[in-house]
Amino acid sequence: MSFFDSLVVSIFCIALVFFVLISLFALIALFSKVLAAAAAKPGKTSVQVAQTAMQPEAVPQNMEGPDLSTGKLKLKGVDEKTAAMIMAIVSHESSIPLSELRFKSIRAIEEK
Amino acid sequence: MFIDALKTIWFDSGFAALSWQHLVMIVIACVLIYLAIVKKFEPLLLLTIAFGVLLANLPLSGLMKEEVGSEAGGLLYYLYLGVKKGIYPSLIFLGVGAMTDFGPLISRPSSLFLGAAAQFGIFIAFIIAGLFGFSPQEASSIGIIGGADGPTAIYTTARLAPHLLSAIAIAAYSYMALIPIIQPPIMRLLTTEKERKVKMEQMREVSKLEKICFPIVVTIFCVLLLPSVAPLIGMLMLGNLFRESGVVERLSDTAQNALMNIVTIFLGITVGATANAENFLKLETLAIIALGLVAFMFSTVGGLLLGKLMYKLSGGKINPLIGSAGVSAVPMAARVSQVEGQKANPSNFLLMHAMGPNVAGVIGSAVAAGILMALFG
Repeated sequence: MSFFDSLVVSIFCIALVFFVLISLFALIALFSKVLAAAAAKPGKTSVQVAQTAMQPEAVPQNMEGPDLSTGKLKLKGVDEKTAAMIMAIVSHESSIPLSELRFKSIRAIEEK
Repeated sequence: MFIDALKTIWFDSGFAALSWQHLVMIVIACVLIYLAIVKKFEPLLLLTIAFGVLLANLPLSGLMKEEVGSEAGGLLYYLYLGVKKGIYPSLIFLGVGAMTDFGPLISRPSSLFLGAAAQFGIFIAFIIAGLFGFSPQEASSIGIIGGADGPTAIYTTARLAPHLLSAIAIAAYSYMALIPIIQPPIMRLLTTEKERKVKMEQMREVSKLEKICFPIVVTIFCVLLLPSVAPLIGMLMLGNLFRESGVVERLSDTAQNALMNIVTIFLGITVGATANAENFLKLETLAIIALGLVAFMFSTVGGLLLGKLMYKLSGGKINPLIGSAGVSAVPMAARVSQVEGQKANPSNFLLMHAMGPNVAGVIGSAVAAGILMALFG
């Protein structure tokens, strides 16, 4: 295969990779919007949980892979670094991987 | 008589059949074992690959001997069928899917662009390999090292250029282990201090329903568009559905642990066993290793450059360091982004943001492999 042919094939291939992943982007954005719209039914009230909520699930002890979680976390009077430390401590103490814990908010409690 | 018996034993033994090439390969195997145990370079696979190299280069063991008529083949010959037929890489993808949280990707789907850009190195290496005289099939297999995805590299090479399998597998896993050394200088070279300091906004919460729909939607779309990626994407997404559905804990557990470990053993030892002296001790092996490095570096560059573009377009909200995580070495590449981001700004937490491009890279490299297999398979 000549240099020119290789170049053309490469441009075609990378363009196709972009096309597939851009299409996936559109699909994900679309289904996220559809699901969000379906979830936001009128009259439905969202319950705000003020305290830290944990939702442990049964997981294998020696699971490998990214030890991560997603979602929005409300911080009240706590900086990000402290919050990260608290989450790590909770995960360690409860022996539940971070990916299986869900923190909704972390709030500093003022001593009276 | 006694001397004759000793002579017979000696000439029938592997010692008499040892050549200098075998000895070189045994030394290479021992170096790889050292790297796996002492330096912890991807030990799960490198250790088994290295031991496969060792076994394949002990003369007369016949472990890779083909079945001829009624004469049985060697143990590793039969196990190797799982590589040859593309079974093991697909099963590894099942486990990877069961271990992967696609939440960061669903939360910020633009991560997919970075996952696409980080496949750039595959095609740069493809072009250069063509200039070196490699066939399109060989060049595709070499280029796919840049996808930084071991199972994808093995799957593609087993289909397109099986004679290069050992060199490509060893190069792919070695470079994946070296990501914390290869990527940071490129990251620092291509980004400014200001860009590296960018703190990204928290990602939105992803619902369970979205996570369940994701593998189904991706499978339908990708497999319909590129049927050649069905074994990889199909298994990856099935594993992820096991994880996210929450109703098949046992299957998810098996895919992540027992099955993954068993397949890793079979895959590693048989890929290593293809590295016999005749196949491996060639100049082209050195060329493959060099081209693999080029592929890796350019993939990192591709991700970073698109990251910089997204930084500009987003008005400085996206840290370009997450672009380098678009190479699919999960989660090592994301950790490198986190470390580099934190060096620039100690209060920076990029890990979750980098996981999006990271898992997008797994899909991106499988798509790139599917395209190359469709063109040259």
